[in-house]
Amino acid sequence: MIELSHVTKTYAPRLGPSARAVDDVSIRVGAGEIAGISGPSGAGKSTLLSMVLGFERPTSGSVRIDGTEPRRFAQREGIAFLPQRLGIPGRWRVSDALTRLAMLSGVPAAVTRGRVEAVIEELALGEHRRTRVRRLARDTRQRLGLAQAILADRRVVVLDEPLEGLEPLTLDRLHALLIRLRAADRAILIASRDTAELQRIADRVTLIDRGRVRRNGLARPPTPVDVEAVYHLVVHRGAEHVLAVFPSAISVGRGTYAVRVSGLGPLNLGLRELLERGALLASVSPAYWPAEAPGFALNELPS
Amino acid sequence: MKPRLTAYAGVQLRDFLVGRAPFLFLATAITVWALLRANGVTLATFDAAAGIGGREQARRAFADALGAYAVLGAVFAAQGLVARDRWRGFDRVLFSRPFDPRRYYVQAFVMAGVGVVGLAVLAAGVFSVAAYPVSVAGVAAYVGLAWFTLGAFAFALTTVTTYHVPVVVGALAGALLLDRLPRVLSVPDTLRVVVEAAQYLLPPTQVIVALREPFARGSLVQPHLLVWPLAFGALWLTLAVLVLSRRPFRS
Repeated sequence: MIELSHVTKTYAPRLGPSARAVDDVSIRVGAGEIAGISGPSGAGKSTLLSMVLGFERPTSGSVRIDGTEPRRFAQREGIAFLPQRLGIPGRWRVSDALTRLAMLSGVPAAVTRGRVEAVIEELALGEHRRTRVRRLARDTRQRLGLAQAILADRRVVVLDEPLEGLEPLTLDRLHALLIRLRAADRAILIASRDTAELQRIADRVTLIDRGRVRRNGLARPPTPVDVEAVYHLVVHRGAEHVLAVFPSAISVGRGTYAVRVSGLGPLNLGLRELLERGALLASVSPAYWPAEAPGFALNELPS
Repeated sequence: MKPRLTAYAGVQLRDFLVGRAPFLFLATAITVWALLRANGVTLATFDAAAGIGGREQARRAFADALGAYAVLGAVFAAQGLVARDRWRGFDRVLFSRPFDPRRYYVQAFVMAGVGVVGLAVLAAGVFSVAAYPVSVAGVAAYVGLAWFTLGAFAFALTTVTTYHVPVVVGALAGALLLDRLPRVLSVPDTLRVVVEAAQYLLPPTQVIVALREPFARGSLVQPHLLVWPLAFGALWLTLAVLVLSRRPFRS
């Protein structure tokens, strides 16, 4: 459905050297799929999304949505889009902003109010209905961004850094929203710096850095039973026991530990011991990358 | 789902009335106050007891206010229309939706024009009743002409630069200054040709300002006087649409 083929984007300012923001990137997002693009700041994620929306044209290569040039597709069908910078005028109130954008999205007059109320409910914006956009906290602003994107039913959804500034509860809402949005005829493309979270959300994640694809892989490959792998443990209480049980554990911050084990058996044994020592675990999840765990469907691409 | 752009015109008119119109009134009030003071006009001038001389001064004061409002209205009608959305990044939110950016912005410009003309008609009506009879239709036509001529110029500039306001104000003021230059200084003939040529490159502010009195009186205006302002407006409106076709959003 969304197809980027050998896309390169070079910015050539009148003064100074040219910069290649995207370099020979090929990504395909099929209908019914949630795809992620991850990478550090300045990796070229937003430039890629900009080209998917037709806001920018590739210097070489092609971008197609349903076989059509993206701008033509956007003007014909519209794309549900959450930009990194929302830009909704600060003096607008939340419900007013959504009503205006519903009109521009083509929501029929008869159902506009109901539709606006539905997205307000879904993104828990009820108490901010009358708040001016400039007064919204970051998390609420991000929810408003998501709300405006889903006002109309679109076949293509593009979200730029949807996880940025989200509180845990909102993250749950985003998960629920994506589950609802996942449909056989809809392609969803998400760009985020948060690779781990993106892996939880997306079916496939492409890691890019300095404009080039570094890795392409399934986000949820079958977990190997007897293969050495790295897992992330989020410890709510009793973190002092982690190193005693898993001597190779590395703290990666905020109560999260990267633990390398030789399979699911040793992992479960270790977890049992940890629980018996009184630790309280918040989550356990496989760390597909950048933990370099072998045995799952990642294809290292030449850089 | 077809976007309801026609219905959105009402929202764009409201945006002008609550967003830019108060500043337009403020700017006009300051300008008119300065003009009245310079001409020695006081409130007593508008009193019925002021006699024929007073009525003449009131008529002139209204024409001056109309000229100032029309020029400022044209600037405020287009101010930031395209550039502000680009600067905020709101263009991305707007144009991920299925409609044509040209239609959206031209409609916003037209609705701002409707607002500028509507407010002028209202003010002229009140002035006619309270102080001195003026042609409401003439006022509407005059403000509409200024919006089309000078507003289209400002609209075109807002499609190309964030810093359009100083450029527009500079160009409008420059045109007026060039017009006054030969009257206050003795300009050699060769320089006069250059000045006249430059006036054709700049917005015809002097023509618009000069037309304020006949329009306010409701008298017939020679059609040939309108050709240059209308052609200038049409040219810049076409340029604005062309720029929006080639570069509808920040890229």
